[in-house]
Amino acid sequence: MGNQRARFGIARATCALGLVATLLTGCGSDGDSGDGVTKLTFAASTFGDPGRGPLLTKWLDEFNQSQTKVQVSAAAVPYPTFGQTVLTQMGSGKGPDLVRFDMPEFEAASDAGLVAPLDKVIDAGKYDLLKQPDQFMVHDGVRHGVIFEASNYAMFYNADLIPTPPTTYEQFTSTAKSLTKGDVFGLAFRQTEAEEAGVWQDIFNYVYGFGGAWSDGKNLTINSPENLKGLQAFKDLYDANVIPRGADAATFRRMFAEGKVGMELNNGGYVTATRGQNAKLNFTVAPIPFPVRKQGAILAPIVINEASEGKDEAGTFIKWALEPQNQVKLQEILGASSVATTTQRSAESLKATPFLPVFDGLTETSLPQIVLGFEAKTPDIRKVVVQNVVAALQGKADLKSALDRAQQQATELVR
Amino acid sequence: MRRFRFGVTARIVAVLVVLGVAVFPLYWMFVTALSSNSDLFADQPRLTPDLGQFGVFVDALAEGKAAGWLLNSLIIAVGTMVLSVGLGIPLGYALSRFSFWGKAVLTVVLLFTQMLPEALMVVPLFALFRRFELLDSLTGLILVNSAFVLPIVALILKGAIDGIPKELEEAARADGARPFTTLTRINVPLIAPSIAATAVIAFFHAWNEYVFAVTFIFNPDLQPASVGIANFIGELGTPIQTVMAVAFLFTLPAVAFYLLVQKYVVSGMTAGAVKG
Repeated sequence: MGNQRARFGIARATCALGLVATLLTGCGSDGDSGDGVTKLTFAASTFGDPGRGPLLTKWLDEFNQSQTKVQVSAAAVPYPTFGQTVLTQMGSGKGPDLVRFDMPEFEAASDAGLVAPLDKVIDAGKYDLLKQPDQFMVHDGVRHGVIFEASNYAMFYNADLIPTPPTTYEQFTSTAKSLTKGDVFGLAFRQTEAEEAGVWQDIFNYVYGFGGAWSDGKNLTINSPENLKGLQAFKDLYDANVIPRGADAATFRRMFAEGKVGMELNNGGYVTATRGQNAKLNFTVAPIPFPVRKQGAILAPIVINEASEGKDEAGTFIKWALEPQNQVKLQEILGASSVATTTQRSAESLKATPFLPVFDGLTETSLPQIVLGFEAKTPDIRKVVVQNVVAALQGKADLKSALDRAQQQATELVR
Repeated sequence: MRRFRFGVTARIVAVLVVLGVAVFPLYWMFVTALSSNSDLFADQPRLTPDLGQFGVFVDALAEGKAAGWLLNSLIIAVGTMVLSVGLGIPLGYALSRFSFWGKAVLTVVLLFTQMLPEALMVVPLFALFRRFELLDSLTGLILVNSAFVLPIVALILKGAIDGIPKELEEAARADGARPFTTLTRINVPLIAPSIAATAVIAFFHAWNEYVFAVTFIFNPDLQPASVGIANFIGELGTPIQTVMAVAFLFTLPAVAFYLLVQKYVVSGMTAGAVKG
C-alpha cells in the first residue's frame, strides 16, 4: 500500500513538474521589442575572456547608449566550439547578426557566401585602415570583413625567471631546459587534438620561423624540408619535457600568470588576459627567437551575417566601431593588439606597457594563420595537419611520415 | 571476536573507499572553487577548501546568470524526462505485447538511433527545427533530447513489460479492462522501478546535453548550464575557480534528483520479494 501511494506520488509530482516545465517553456521564447528598436546579437569568443570580456561588454553598452534605434547584445558562444557552432547556424540561415571570426572560419564563411558584402555598408576609403592585415578582408574585390583585432605573435617571458631573453633558437631551448625544475616549466604550448585551432596557431610560428610555409600559393608544401625542420624543433621541445604535457591553454596560461611557466609564444591580446589573472606578474615580451623573423598573427575580422535581417543596423554598429575615439577605446581593451585603423599609442599606454612597440614592430612580418592560396580550405587542412603532428608527438608515427601523410590527405581535400 | 571486529573494520573501510571514490570528484570541485590562484598550482595541492574564497560562489550567483542557466537546465531535463517516459511506456508496451507489421524492423531502427552521434544530426535537425520555428526555445531542446533518449527508454521498458506474466493481463481483460487500463493499472505499477530508472537516464541525458544546446540556442537567457559553464572558456583564459563553483552548483540538482528517485528504484526492486 505504501509503495502504491509512493508511486502515485511520483506520478503526481512528475505531472506537476511537466506542467510547470511546459508553462515555463512557453514563456521562454525571445522576440523583438516591438518599439521600433532593432535588437542585434554580436557573437565573439572574446566575450568569455577574463579581463577583456567584461570590458568589451561595457564597450557595447556605450554603443547602445549612443543609439535609439539599434541595440547590440553580446552572444556568448563557447570558444572551443565557436567556429563550428556559428558556421552551422549561419549555414542554416540563422545565427548572430555580427560575428567576430578567426581567420580560418572567416575564409570558410566568406567562400560559402555566408557573409554579407560590406562595400555598401561602409566606405572603406574614409578610414585609415591598416594595410597589411586589411588586405585579407577583401576577396575578389569584395569586402567581407573589417579588422576587429590584429595581434602579432611574440615571446612572452617571466622577467623574474629570465633576466635576459633568448635571442637564438639554441638559447631558447637551453633556457627552457634550465628553467624546468619541480613545478616550474620552461615553456608551454598546446599539444592535444582537443585544441586543434590552438595547436595550429602554435605550430604556425615554428613552421614560418624556420623558413617554412604551408603552401607556395598554388600547391601545398606541408611536408617540405623547412616545415619538417620547424616541426622537428617543436617536437624536440615536447620530447625534452620542458612543457606541462597534457595541460590545456587555460591551465598553462594560469600557470604562466602564477610564475610556474617561464616562456610562452602568444599574441598581443594575451597581455590584458595575463594582467587580469595576476596584476603583479613581472612579464615582458621579445620577438620570437627563431631563425627567420616571420610569425603568425591573429587576425579577427568582424562580419555581418548574410542571413541577418538587420544588415543596415549591423552596419551602423561597424561604422560606430570605426570612429577614431571608439577605435582607441577598443585598442585599450584589447591590450597590445592593433585594431582596424591606425591609432596612436598614448603615453599612458606606453608607460604601463613599455613593450607595445615590440608588437607593433612585428606587423610587417606577421601572417594570418591561414593556408595562402587555399584560404577557405584552411579549417580542413588544419584538421589534417594537427591530427598528424599530434600523432607524431605521441609517438604513433615518425614526424616525416606524419607530414607526408598530411600532405597526401590535404592534397586530396583541395583537389 | 577478533574476526568479527576485523570483518566490521573491513566493511567500514570498503564503504569509506567506495564513498570516497564517489564523492571525491565533487569534493575536489569544491576545493578547487575555493582555492586561491597560488594554491591552484602549488607544489603541494591544497586538500581543504579555503573558506575565505567563498565569494566566488556569491559572485557566480549574484550575477544572476548561473541561476538562470540552472533553471533552464531543470526545465529541459524535467521536460525531456516527462516526454520520453510518457511516450516510452506505451511504445514499450506496444513492442512487447502487440504483433504488427514491421515490428522487428522498428526495434532494430530504435537500436540503430542509439548508434548515431549527436554531432552527425546537428545540421539536418537545425534545418528542420528552423522550419518548425523551434530554434532558440527550450521546447526545441526538450523535443530533440526526447527524440534521442526515447528509443532507449522504450527498449528498457519493453524488456520490463516482457517480464510480466501475460496471465495477469488476461485476468484483467476477463474482468473487462481495456488495453489502456491494463497498461496503466496492471503494468505501470509493476514496472515502476524500470520507469524510475529510465526517468533517471532521460533526466541525466538532458541535464548534460551540450551539442544541441550550444547550436540551437542563440538567446543567452535561454542557455542551459552545460553551455553556460563552457562560456567561461575564453580564447585566452578561463577563470577556473568560477567554472568549478558553477560546475559544483550544476551537479547538486542532479545528485538531489538521483537521491530522490533512487529509493523508488530500490523499493520497486524489492517489492513483492517476500510475498508469495
